[in-house]
Amino acid sequence: MPSSLVISAWSAISPYGVGNAPLREGLAEGRDAIAALDHDTYPVPFGQAALVPDFSAAKYVGKKGTRTMDRVTALAVTAVGGLVGAIAGELQARPEQTALVLGTGSGSVQSIMDFTKDSLSGERPYHVEPARFPNTVMNRAAGQSAIWHRIKGPNTTVAGGALTGLLALSYALRLHRGGHCTRVLCGAAEEFSTQRAWLEWHGRAEEERRTPLGEGAAVFLVEPAEDATAAGRTVLARIAGTRFRAYREPDGIRDALTACVRSTLDAAGVAPGSVRFVAPLGGGGKPAAEEEQAVTDALPGADPAWIRLREHLGDTSAAATALQLAAVLAAAGGQGLGPGEAALVTGVEPDGQVGCAVFTGV
Amino acid sequence: MTTTHELNAGDRARIKGIICDILEIEPEDMTDTSRFKEDHEADSMGAIEILSQLERAFGTDIDQAELSRMVNLDGVVTVVGEAVAAQSARAN
Amino acid sequence: MVHDDEQQPRRVVITGLGTVTSIGLGAPAFLDGLKSGRSGVKPLTAFDTTGFAHANACEVADFAPGDWIHHVDPRELGRATQFSVAAANMAVADAGLTARELRERRVLVSVGTTDAESRDLDTLVGTQLAEGPERLSPGVARRAQAGRLSSGIVRELGLVDVEALTIPTACAAGNYAIGSGFDAIRYGEVEAALCGGADAVCRKTFTGFYRLGTIAPEVCQPFDIDRKGILTGEGAGVLLLESLESALARGARIYAEVLGYGLNCDAHHPVAPDQDSLARCMEVAHRNAGVAQEDIDFISAHGTGTRANDVTEAGAIRQVFDTPPPTVSIKSMIGHSMGAASALAAAACALALTEGFIPPTVNHRETDPECGLDCVPNEARPAELNVVQNNALAFAGNNAVLILGRMNRTRRTARPEPLKEAV
Repeated sequence: MPSSLVISAWSAISPYGVGNAPLREGLAEGRDAIAALDHDTYPVPFGQAALVPDFSAAKYVGKKGTRTMDRVTALAVTAVGGLVGAIAGELQARPEQTALVLGTGSGSVQSIMDFTKDSLSGERPYHVEPARFPNTVMNRAAGQSAIWHRIKGPNTTVAGGALTGLLALSYALRLHRGGHCTRVLCGAAEEFSTQRAWLEWHGRAEEERRTPLGEGAAVFLVEPAEDATAAGRTVLARIAGTRFRAYREPDGIRDALTACVRSTLDAAGVAPGSVRFVAPLGGGGKPAAEEEQAVTDALPGADPAWIRLREHLGDTSAAATALQLAAVLAAAGGQGLGPGEAALVTGVEPDGQVGCAVFTGV
Repeated sequence: MTTTHELNAGDRARIKGIICDILEIEPEDMTDTSRFKEDHEADSMGAIEILSQLERAFGTDIDQAELSRMVNLDGVVTVVGEAVAAQSARAN
Repeated sequence: MVHDDEQQPRRVVITGLGTVTSIGLGAPAFLDGLKSGRSGVKPLTAFDTTGFAHANACEVADFAPGDWIHHVDPRELGRATQFSVAAANMAVADAGLTARELRERRVLVSVGTTDAESRDLDTLVGTQLAEGPERLSPGVARRAQAGRLSSGIVRELGLVDVEALTIPTACAAGNYAIGSGFDAIRYGEVEAALCGGADAVCRKTFTGFYRLGTIAPEVCQPFDIDRKGILTGEGAGVLLLESLESALARGARIYAEVLGYGLNCDAHHPVAPDQDSLARCMEVAHRNAGVAQEDIDFISAHGTGTRANDVTEAGAIRQVFDTPPPTVSIKSMIGHSMGAASALAAAACALALTEGFIPPTVNHRETDPECGLDCVPNEARPAELNVVQNNALAFAGNNAVLILGRMNRTRRTARPEPLKEAV
C-alpha cells in the first residue's frame, strides 16, 4: 500500500565502522570489511567475519549501566542514539508520540544460550545472573533503546529472517497509518557471536558455509514529509511502499519477487525506468541469481546502479535489508534521492518469502 | 539461635568487589554502612543480582527473605556469614 | 499523495479462533475450560527440574502435532511453531474457510512471541555441553528461528500473496500482533489476517523467573492476598480477522469486533511495570477504539499473580476507571503462556462476548485490598457484554491494550484521531 511517509534521517553501524560516514566511504571505495577471525575470542568454524571494528558497549554506550548489556543491545542503543539528536526537541516535549520499531533475528542467541548454560552447568540450576535474564528476551534491544533514549511511544520488535528490515518498515508504515504515533524510528540490528556462528554453520547447506557472517545496525527516522520540512530536516526519500509474497520452491523466487516489485511500483505510480539504485540481498547462489533476474524482469528500461552489500559486509542476517537501505541512502548523498529518481531494496528469505521496498525522490 | 560464621577480611573484600561491580561504583565510594538503594541507586534487580552472585561465589543458598537485611555491606556480610555457617552445619 | 485518505476505514471482525492451551485444544474445549474454571497446572515435564525447590507449570500435555499439522513435516518445526501452525489451522477451519480460499486472498500473518524456539536453543546448549558445538543438530539449528513462527503458517497453508512477520515483543506480543492485523484490514491493506501469539515452556525462561523469585510454588492466584507469583505456561492463540463486509458476504459467524488498541512504552525499567504509563496506555486504547472508560464491561487483566504486577495493574485500572469493571486473569487457569498470553486472552474475550459470560479468576481465596478489584472469583459469571478490554504488559515496559466489542451491525466506528503535535 502506498504511503505518504518519508525518511528524513538515518543512522548506521556497519563493519566499516560506527556511523554513516564510514559506510559512505567504505562503499565509495568498494572496500571489503571481511577479515580473519581471532579464534581465541571467537572459537567458531568460520575463518572470516565482518565485525564492527572495536565495538563494545562500554566504548560506545558508556561505562555506566552497561555491565550486562549484550552486543546486539549495544548496537541498537548506539544506532538509535545516532538519530535522537535529530528529534531531540520532539522527544523532550512529547516522548509518547515517537515509536521505535526494531528488527531482530532471534534476539541475542548468545545471551539466551549462555543463560541456559549457566542453569545446566552451575552448582544449582538457578545459579544464573538475574540481571542478564532480560537479555534473553527478544524485545531487549528495542526496549533498552527506549529506556536509554526515553522513547515512550509504541515499542515493537519484529523478526522475519533476512527480510526483517523490510518487515519492520512495513510494520512501521501500518502503525503510523493506524494513528498510533507521529513518527517512527525504524530499523534492525544483528550481532556477531560465537553462538550465532555455530547455529548458522549447522543450519546452512555445505556450499553456503563460505559466506562469512557480518553484523551491524541501521535505523531510520520515518515521518510525514510536512513534519520533516517544518522541522528543517531534509527529505531523503519518500517511502513508496513495501510488498511481500511467498514461494514454495527456489524456482518460484523469480516470479514472486517480480510480482512484488511490479505491484509496488504500480501502486505508487513509479516508472520502472526511474529506478536509479537497486540493493538486493544477494544471499546464496541460486536465490541470489533468481533475485537479480526478478529485478531485471521488473525494471525494463532501467539502468540502475547495483549495490551488492553482502560481498563487502558478509551475511548480516536480520540487519541485512536495513543496511541495504542505509547503503542506498549513503549512495544517494546528503540531499537524498533526486526528483524523478527511485530506489529498490529487495530480499529473499530461504524459508519461503520474498519482499521489496521502493523509495522515490521528492 | 542464628549461628554466624566470621568471614575473614579476604571474604569481605570479595563481597565488596562483587557488589561494587554490580552497582557499577568504585570501591572507595562504598562504606560499610552506605545504603545500596538510597546512596548507590540500586533497584530491586540490583538487589536480587547481588544475592544471586553471592550464592554462586560462596556456593551457598540465601533465602530471598534476607534481602530486607542486605541493604549495605555490613548487612550483606552478616547474611552471607550466616548462610555459610548454616551450610557447613548441614554438611556436618 | 496516492493513498486515499477519504476512504472509510473498514470495520474489523473476528471470525475464527485457534487455541492451543493447557485446558483444551480448539475453541470449544477452551470455552468449556473457561466456563468451568479448569486449571492446567501440573508438575513441569519439559526439562529435568532437579534442584529447583518447586516446578509446577501449565503445559499442553496432550498435543500430537500430526493431528493438527497436515502439510509441513512437524519435525521441521520447533514446539512453539507447531503450536502456532496448529492454532492457525484451527482458526481457518473455525472461520469456515479453507486454505485454498485463503490462498486467493491477500493475507497478513503476524505472530507474537516471548521466546520463539528458545526451547530448541535449550536443547542445543545441552548437546553443546555434552558433545561440543560441532555436534549440534542441523535440523534443530535451522528451525530455531523466531521468523519461523509466522512463516510456518505460510508454508502449512500454502499462502501466496502474504506478508508474514513475527513480533517478539515478549509477554505483550499477542496484542501487538492482533493490533497490526487490525490496522492491516482496517485500512484495506489485506483481506484476511491470521494473528496471535505462541510460546513453548523452556528451561531458560522458567529459570529466569525462578531466580527473580516470581514462580509460584503451586498455583497462580492473581489479585489474591496470598499470591506467590506466576506459573509458566505455553500454547498458542491465533485469530482470523477480516472486514465486516467480507464476513457478512460469506455469511460467517462473527465472534466479536476489534474496536482498536493502544501501545506505549514505559521507557523506565527493564522488568518493573509503571502504573502511570500503563494507565496512559489504556486511555490511548480507548481513544483509538472510540470508547469511554465507562463502556468497558470487563477487563481481562495481564494479572500474572506476582506482587508487583497485580498491585501496579490494579492501581492503573483504578486511575483510569471511575468504577473499575470486573477484572479477571485467565492466567489463573492456563498460567503465563508468555507471547501467547494476550492472544489467548483475546480469544477468551471474544468467546465471552459471544457466549455472554465473564471468565473467572480461579484459585482465589481472599482479594488483596491493595488490588481492590472484583476479580470474579472461582466461578464464571453470566453477563451481557458489549465492550471488553484485554491488557498486556511486557519486560521493558512494553504495554499493549486491545479493545473488543460485541458484534453490532449499527455501531458507528469512531475514526481514530491521528496523533498530532499540539500546535
